[in-house]
Amino acid sequence: MPKKRILLIEDETDMVYALTLQLEAVDYKVLSATDGQAGLDMARKEKPDLIILDLMLPRMDGYKICRMLKFDERYKQIPIIMFTARAQEQDRKLAQEVGADAYITKPFDSKVLLDKIGALLKK
Amino acid sequence: MGFQELKDNYQLLRELMDFIPDVIYFKDKKGRFVMVNQAHARGLGVKPEALVGKTDFDLFSKNRAIKMAQDDARVMDTGKPIIDKVERATRPDGVDNYVSTTKIPRYDNKGGVIGLIGITRDITRRMQFERLRKDKLSIEKKLEALEELSAMKSEFISTVSHELRTPLAVIKGLVTVVFNEVVGQINNKQKEVLQKTLDNAERLKKIIDDLLDISRIERNTLKLHYSLVDIIDLMKDSEVFFMKLAEEKHICLKYVYPPEPVNVFIDADRIRQVISNLISNAIKFTMDGGSIKVEVKILEAKVRIGVIDTGIGISKADLASIFNKFTQVSKLPGAENKGVGLGLSISKKLVERHKGEIWVESKAGVGSRFYFTLRRFYTLDMLGKSVRNKVSRLMKDGVSMHFVSLLILNCSEFRKRMKIGSKSLFKDLHAILDSVLQNAKYAGTDKQAMSVINPKAGKFSIILPGASNRQAANISSLLKYKIKQYFSSNKVEDVFITIGSLSYSQRVFSHDDGFSPSRFSIKEIYIGSEMRRFKRMSFKTNIKLFLPAEKVELSESVDVSEGGICLVIRHLLKTDSQLRVSFAFPENKEFIITAKVRVAWIRKFEILFGEDADKYKVGLEFVDLENKYKKVICRRLMNKS
Repeated sequence: MPKKRILLIEDETDMVYALTLQLEAVDYKVLSATDGQAGLDMARKEKPDLIILDLMLPRMDGYKICRMLKFDERYKQIPIIMFTARAQEQDRKLAQEVGADAYITKPFDSKVLLDKIGALLKK
Repeated sequence: MGFQELKDNYQLLRELMDFIPDVIYFKDKKGRFVMVNQAHARGLGVKPEALVGKTDFDLFSKNRAIKMAQDDARVMDTGKPIIDKVERATRPDGVDNYVSTTKIPRYDNKGGVIGLIGITRDITRRMQFERLRKDKLSIEKKLEALEELSAMKSEFISTVSHELRTPLAVIKGLVTVVFNEVVGQINNKQKEVLQKTLDNAERLKKIIDDLLDISRIERNTLKLHYSLVDIIDLMKDSEVFFMKLAEEKHICLKYVYPPEPVNVFIDADRIRQVISNLISNAIKFTMDGGSIKVEVKILEAKVRIGVIDTGIGISKADLASIFNKFTQVSKLPGAENKGVGLGLSISKKLVERHKGEIWVESKAGVGSRFYFTLRRFYTLDMLGKSVRNKVSRLMKDGVSMHFVSLLILNCSEFRKRMKIGSKSLFKDLHAILDSVLQNAKYAGTDKQAMSVINPKAGKFSIILPGASNRQAANISSLLKYKIKQYFSSNKVEDVFITIGSLSYSQRVFSHDDGFSPSRFSIKEIYIGSEMRRFKRMSFKTNIKLFLPAEKVELSESVDVSEGGICLVIRHLLKTDSQLRVSFAFPENKEFIITAKVRVAWIRKFEILFGEDADKYKVGLEFVDLENKYKKVICRRLMNKS
């Protein structure tokens, strides 16, 4: 079975580095983009199995990317996990409104993230 | 004009002159008094006649007289009056005051100035008032500036904390990668080092969370997500965790619960946070071999949670500020004892947001007892786990929750005295409830109304999800009406039936949708020969508290319910200690009620901005209140409403 591909859209390069190491450790292939526009372009081109999306991004924020993918017949089946700040109700609400499949609050426990990814990919 | 008329007019003017408190005088062109009124003469301590022909130079200091003469000259030279001139003056008795003076010129019938009329009024009080108003304004301005500053600080803390999270998440992630040997094998010693790193990253995260909590509380952006939970269930969840923690320190940790479930409407996560904070503090500050007791106690209309330890205790000096921000009283060595000292102040705010009290009793070297209370809607205790879960689930979806509960007070006694057999009574009540439920078909909702019945305890409840306030109120009054009708058509002698009702309501925030507050309300209908127990009334009356060591404290106003009293006092009392009180209702001062009471809860009485007033608000429950007193209290409470 080919490796599942996860697209990571996150502007903190160190965060990308840390997450990539962890995801690769459990046998995912990781693609990454560090700004919003590049992330959206890559999502459309690569059609990954899952997207991890940060909220605050240069050039295009996470909500917009999520909306553009989720309201597009071609991409809407790709599961999206959003990073939100803990207990910011607006963030959660917005994430839900734009169609994110799950949200995870920063700083997160890597086990929680891996469990969420596993659950979404199984579906 | 006839003579009599002239005389009458003169009489009127005379009266005006003599009785007006303002000083009035007439002067000629040379500044000599032609006539002065009583007020002027009285102020100078002489008779009015004695002042005729005198000038201000004969009466006042030279400096002042010169100024007055200058004013006089100006009025008479220019013909323009001076109106309401405010001056400082010294009264003959030596007191400084403020006066307002008006001087207008007098003319003869050819239009030539012949003198002036002066009126002087003492405006000291007005000026004092004015000054107070100005002081108040300036204090308010300063306060506003302080509040703004405080808001900025909270905002700053919030921003900084958010910013700290990302690098912390990166650190945690990277260390985890190494720890899990993703990037190569490491030896045990290295693993140990990394474990410590992770533990401390976790601690840092906890501190940042606390900082964010406190800034959210201060900026009033913390929202509570209420649900209906059994507080005992909630505490049992973390029992194993704390048992293990205590065991590691060889501390004996014991939980004491009441036998029946205790349903409360709370934000479960937040109350869990409070309980965890208190228990982990207790473990932190208790030495090896000590013991900790965690207890849940049911009070009149509250639940009290207590964490009692045999730890290092808190010194008297620290006790006063223990719930303040950034207070860390531990002087023990060892990193694990340190923190930013926000835990208790967050706990206090969270408990207060739940309309509860939190307090502590402690003695250095002996141990500490932390307590807090939550409001308890005791008619909800009969709701089982499945109903509870259903209610909480609906509330999470933002559905409003309304409960209409029927409660028979002192049910077993009530049953004995009713001539309708218990069985048929409850069957009838059940039927009434069902028929009301039939009527509970409110429009626009697919949410099913539910009923929960516990005949043995005399508790009945209708749950109306998605109902509006008005619909709930209608159903409540319908139920009340039908119950009344039932008892009046089945008139039973010797049973005095009273029906009362109480309602509580609250806006709550549902879980996933922080911006649409749903409502929750409880309406309780009471039946019984006893009084509605939990109704509280305020009375202005004298109440005596007999304190230990033969001390007596007097208080003037008291809240009375059948279960106990609540008042503000100066003495700090110990939780669960017993004492005697005596009081009488204002309209029947001869009938003195004396009772033994137990201290159920106590908290510092705070005035504005968390300042202490050196007073305590205390809830005292009656212990074995004598029947004759009970009857008087019930009657009194009933009459008042």
